Parts: sequence; C-alpha cells; structure tokens
Amino acid sequence: MTAKMEASEGKMPHNKLLTYGLVIAVVGTYLTYLNVLTGVAVFSFFGGIAAVAAIWWGSDTIKHLCSYGLGTGVPSAGMIAFGSGAIAMIVGTKFGIASPIVTVILAAILGAVIGYTANNIINMNIPVMIMSLMELAIVGALTMLGFASMATGSFEFNQLIIGSMSLSVENAGAAAGGAQTFLVTAIPQYGNSLIGGAALAVIFFLGALALQHPFNACLGPNESQDRTLMLALSCGFLSMIVVAVISLVFLGLLAGVINLVISLIAWFYCYKTYIDLSKRDAYAWLDSKPIIEVGGDQ
Amino acid sequence: MSALGGKAAGGDSINPVGTVVGLVIILVSIGITAVLGSSLVIPLIGIIVGGALIAFGVHFVPVGGAPAAMGQAPGIATGVAMLAAGAGLAGLFGGAWAFETTGDFLISIIGGAVGGGLMMAITCLMVNATYVFAMGIPAASGKIAKDPITGDTFPEYKSQGTEGHGLPFISFVGGVIGGLIAGLGGTIIYIELLDAYSTGLATLMQAKPEAIAPLAISLAGIFAIGFFLVNAVLAAYNITGTIEGPHDPKFKRVPRAIIGCAVASAFCGLISLLLVTNIGM
Repeated sequence: MTAKMEASEGKMPHNKLLTYGLVIAVVGTYLTYLNVLTGVAVFSFFGGIAAVAAIWWGSDTIKHLCSYGLGTGVPSAGMIAFGSGAIAMIVGTKFGIASPIVTVILAAILGAVIGYTANNIINMNIPVMIMSLMELAIVGALTMLGFASMATGSFEFNQLIIGSMSLSVENAGAAAGGAQTFLVTAIPQYGNSLIGGAALAVIFFLGALALQHPFNACLGPNESQDRTLMLALSCGFLSMIVVAVISLVFLGLLAGVINLVISLIAWFYCYKTYIDLSKRDAYAWLDSKPIIEVGGDQ
Repeated sequence: MSALGGKAAGGDSINPVGTVVGLVIILVSIGITAVLGSSLVIPLIGIIVGGALIAFGVHFVPVGGAPAAMGQAPGIATGVAMLAAGAGLAGLFGGAWAFETTGDFLISIIGGAVGGGLMMAITCLMVNATYVFAMGIPAASGKIAKDPITGDTFPEYKSQGTEGHGLPFISFVGGVIGGLIAGLGGTIIYIELLDAYSTGLATLMQAKPEAIAPLAISLAGIFAIGFFLVNAVLAAYNITGTIEGPHDPKFKRVPRAIIGCAVASAFCGLISLLLVTNIGM
C-alpha cells in the first residue's frame, strides 16, 4: 500500500478529461431544471449523468494523486473528496438557480485550503496535491449535487429539505409531504425529505464508493486508462441505479422508472465493455502451464 | 514509504511559512464568522477544537496496513483513514444518542468518547485474537525493546526481517485512547453544529424548532461525517502508512497534524456555518 504505484500515461490527457467532466457535470445538473420549466419530473436522469461524469473525471484525478505514494491507500482520496464535497454541496444548494456554479466555486476554495494544509503544513510536498484536492472536492460536490437532483428533481435547498416536489399540481401544503399541524400552525414534514430523512447520507457513500473503487481495483503493472475509466463509468451507473430507486419515493412512478431504465441500460453497457477490456488486458499463460483439467477446454 | 524502508515524504519538522499562513486562515475564518453572526463563533471554535482532537486521537490508533495483514508489522491490518472513520462514526452514534436522551453537553461528549473507545477496544481485541490464535504469532514491536506498560521484552519474540507483528499491549492501550479522543472530537463537532442549526434554521426558515429538528440532526450528522473524514485523512497523510501507537517515532509529528486539522476544520466550519446565515436563499 505504500509503494509508488505505476499509473499508465493513457491516451486522453488529464486536462481534457477534466474539461469534459466539469462541463458535462455542470450542464447535466442544469438540465434537470427542465423539470421546473416543463412541469414534469422526467428530466431528473440528467442529474445522474452529471454525477457519473464527475466520477469518471475524479477517478483519473485519483490516479494522478495516488501515483505519488501517499502511504494512506487509494480509498482515502475518495473519502476526503466526499468529506469536503459534502460541505460545499449542501451550502452551495442555498443559492437557487446559481447552485451548481456556486457549488463548484465553494468546493474549489475548500479543496485549495485543504490541499495547502496537506502540502505546506503537514509537509507532504507533492506537486499535484493542491490541484488534485481541489479537483476532488469539486468532484465530490458535483457527484452529490447530481445524484441529489436526480433523486428529488431539483438542486435547490428548499426542495431538498421538503418532502416531495412542489412542481406537482397539488397545493403547497400537500407538496410539503402532507402538512402536519402543530399548535394550529401547519408545519411541513422536513423528516420526509432527502436531507431531513438523511437519504443524502446514502448518496454520500454511494458516490464515495464509486469514486474510490476504480483505480484501487485496476492499479498494477498493466493498468490502462480506458479500462480504469470504463470501470469508473460502470461503478457510477451502479450507484445511479440505487439513486433511481430512491427517486421513486420523491418523484413518483413515471420519472423514477425512467431513471431506473436509463441507469440499468447504461450500467449494463459499461460493465460489458469493462469485461471486454479486462479480457483484452489479461495476459496469456506463457511459461508456467496451468494444470490441465481432464475433460476441460484444453 | 515506511513499508519499503524509505524516508517519509516531508520529515518531522514543522514548516514555519505554512504554519503561519495556516494560523492566519484560522483567524480570518473566525473573523468572517464573527461578522456574519456573533453567535456562530462559539460553534466554530468548538469545531476547531474537535478537529484538533480528531487529529491527535488518530495518531494513537495502531495501523499496519497490508504488512500487518501478512504479519510483518504490528497494528491493525487496514488504513488509518478507514479505522479512524470507524471509531469516529461509532463515537458519533454514541454521542448523538446520549444527546437525544439527556440533552447534556458533558454526558454527550463522554458518550461519544466511550463509543469511539469501545469500537477500538473491540477491534484491537479481535485483531489480537486473530494474530495469536489464527496466525500463531506473538505480539512484538520492532520499534522499542520493552513494552512501556507491562515491561515485557520484545526482541526475543520478533521474527527476523519484520518490523514486529501482532498488537502489543501498549498499542492496544494506545488504540483505545485514540478512539476515546477521536470520538470526543467528533461528538463536539456534531453537538456544536446541531446547536447552531437547530436555532439558526428555525430563525431563518421561520419554522418551529420541533419541525426543524430532523433537518438539523441530519445536516449536523452529514457535516460531522464530512469533517471527520477530512480530518482523519489529513492525519493519515501525516502518518504516511503505519504507526504503532504513542511509542512510535512517527508520533513526534503530531503537532503539525493538529495545526493542519485545526486550519482545515476552521475553514470547513466557516463554509458549513454559511448555511445558517442570510447569504444566498
């Protein structure tokens, strides 16, 4: 766990990956706003695609950072990404329509401070540390924002804390998860919401596992970029399936089933491609022969 | 690095420039918080203290990583961040439960400390049971000749070519102390955030505190987990790999981890407390 890991150079430069990941994640999160514009919740799946794009980019960042031999294991990078990302994301959602942009800015500042702390106070002296922790904080924040907007259909704080979406035809009281009366005043049931019901904690760990797994699983002498990134996509869509199930509660049957079908198809395609790439990269037996089984293929 | 016998990334010294910049970040964070709302300064200071306690506690936790799994180094066979997060979250549950039942600050943080310490005690016990009865190896440290608590000697039990193996009594005690301190720190952060959110959100959203309670608890819980992971990973960066406990030479690096985690906690705390200010929304 502490040796310098060999990471492949890869065909796609990291900055190109960063640009694609960031743009798709922000634009995808914004596309969920079509829910509000059209009045139906079926566009929520764009949030999931945004989150998967962020995970895809983040797993390449982890590869960059962890090839320096931090001595803490690859998963710790995923944990610090989501630890700082969660803080930036929840505060970022307070800014209404500007939420995705503000989330990116907050996460970048937060990541820069943590990176500076790690590099200059804890004395890690790793050249890519500050940039990588900035990227990872943004990845963590955008992944959680994407999944949260997929589950609830909105990226605004007010919607994340109220039981179900207010864009349905029901009145505001019913949209707030069936208002409860407390000393005559009606109070919304915040406990039924994504944040109030702590479903956000599930999203937190779904994202963290999807982010920290791919490079950890693929690292080794013949790690190749396209295989690692395909595993990242596969893990991302696997998490998206669970978020789609969560979204059934908040968005109702139609939008939830659309989310589920899209994530299932995408996961199946990516997983199949990943298996093909693994077979491509697997080495044949050369010198030492395996024990030949009687009646087997050989 | 240590597994290969190499030198740790940055040595044991404190970086003066970085430390001064860090202290400035802490002061600026407290200053901005004071401007935004004077009632938020106490929670922020609680968060900073909690972060520093987590950094301190993590260094007591004996971890050996992959070498320990093969019986070539003393400690628990996993990464620092994982184990610290486990102890911290166990402490957080204990503290949160105690706070909900009693509402008393002191009892709650003691509850959190006991939760974290208990998790580490159980983990250390089971690890030693595995080492001794399943792998058949005696506990021996390679870093010191004699256990400072029991006085048992190690060299005659240590296998050649290893850094030691098993979990010596001093490491066991260190682990429990680490769990206690880290659990204490995590619970302080949780309770301070819960306090700030349950009053702040109720004012901001003009809702009854009873209605806001589930929201404040979830938000404080998620933020506390976030803080814990950030602090645990920063402390793990400071350890770089394996540590046996309070007698390990790497324990000397504790001061800079405490400063680093205090800085990171101060800034994360500032951002998380923006939630209950009038900014945005």
